[in-house]
Amino acid sequence: MAEENPDWRIWLAAAQLGDARAYARLLQEALPWLRRRARARWPQSSAADIEDMVQETLLALHQSRHLYDPTRPVAPFLFGILKFRGAEIRRRRQRHAGRETAIDDVSVTSAALATNDTQDRDVDTASMMMALKGLGERDRLVLNLLKVRQLSLREAASETGMSVVALKVATFRAMQRLKKAMKENITDED
Amino acid sequence: MRTEELIASLARDLPPVRRAAPPATLLLRWLLVTVPVLAMVVYAMGLRPGLAGLLTQPRFMLAELLALTTALISAYAAFCAGRPDEPGWKLYLPMAALALWLLELGRQCFILSLQTHGAALILRPDFLCVPAIAMAGFVPAVAMVWLLRRSAMFRTTHACLCGAMAAAAAAEVALPLFHAADTMMTVLVWQMGSVMLFTALGALFGRITLRLLSNASPHPEIA
Repeated sequence: MAEENPDWRIWLAAAQLGDARAYARLLQEALPWLRRRARARWPQSSAADIEDMVQETLLALHQSRHLYDPTRPVAPFLFGILKFRGAEIRRRRQRHAGRETAIDDVSVTSAALATNDTQDRDVDTASMMMALKGLGERDRLVLNLLKVRQLSLREAASETGMSVVALKVATFRAMQRLKKAMKENITDED
Repeated sequence: MRTEELIASLARDLPPVRRAAPPATLLLRWLLVTVPVLAMVVYAMGLRPGLAGLLTQPRFMLAELLALTTALISAYAAFCAGRPDEPGWKLYLPMAALALWLLELGRQCFILSLQTHGAALILRPDFLCVPAIAMAGFVPAVAMVWLLRRSAMFRTTHACLCGAMAAAAAAEVALPLFHAADTMMTVLVWQMGSVMLFTALGALFGRITLRLLSNASPHPEIA
């Protein structure tokens, strides 16, 4: 990790205090370094996968920046996150690959592909609408505000009179119930 | 989304965050809760008869010391597990401590079985072990989850497993002070079995609770 810029520590410590410019600077400087490390660690991964790993690392860094200890170097912290998120993406890709079928021999202009795509989407939408109907009024309200209309938590809070924390909890529970209802619908159809 | 755009959006309106305490500090806070709670449990249950004599026995003290070491190392590993810059070897130290503890109990069981012509190998049901470990380990386990809520961002399963083991081992430090097992085999099977059971259940519930806590408050911003 010898290539770490000594300013990284200062910038990340400043970012913890809310300095957006220092944070942007750190992320920009660390970006090529992260791409290099990701390519070196997973040489067989595609360029798109490498970029996904880097983006996931940046998001995870954002979520966990409070864990950084300014007395320690930044590079091992960043590299640790890259290892976890990169391995997660690789696992996800391998899982998906097991369920996918190569369709290279089908012409890309085949109309069947487009029809299938629409059918899948329609079926997904229909099953979600059906599951939504089965939910309680409060669940439907929070999902409509936050997921369909995509309001911010503050906007939704002022519209419903609920607190932001209560909204977060209600959304989480509503999503869990929606997932459960959709799973039950799929099982019933099987 | 392009990565450069992602960086710009992450850096926009960046709220300050409260820095998480280092693992050693968290360990100290956990001990500040755990030690008085265990002392109260021992006081409430009453000291077992003949404890003063047992405290002078190296066999008893060594088992207690190993249980305490496992608890401390496991708690420290739990607080390290969620941090991306902590090396992986620290997370496997609790397994080594637990193995050493089990080996010592096994060795004691073997020696006692020779000395007592097999009497130490008799296994009697000791149903009090499970609730006693659960009762003594409950508050340390809750304290552990509470302290882990902001620091277990990565390797969460490992953090929960080590945390639950710390609580179970801490309970096992207190258990022999108020509860006497009939034979060494009973200690090995019932007491250590209760420790394993508590660790597995604690890890499972700890993970679920941590997920709920992180969903309820996903951003570690200063309120």
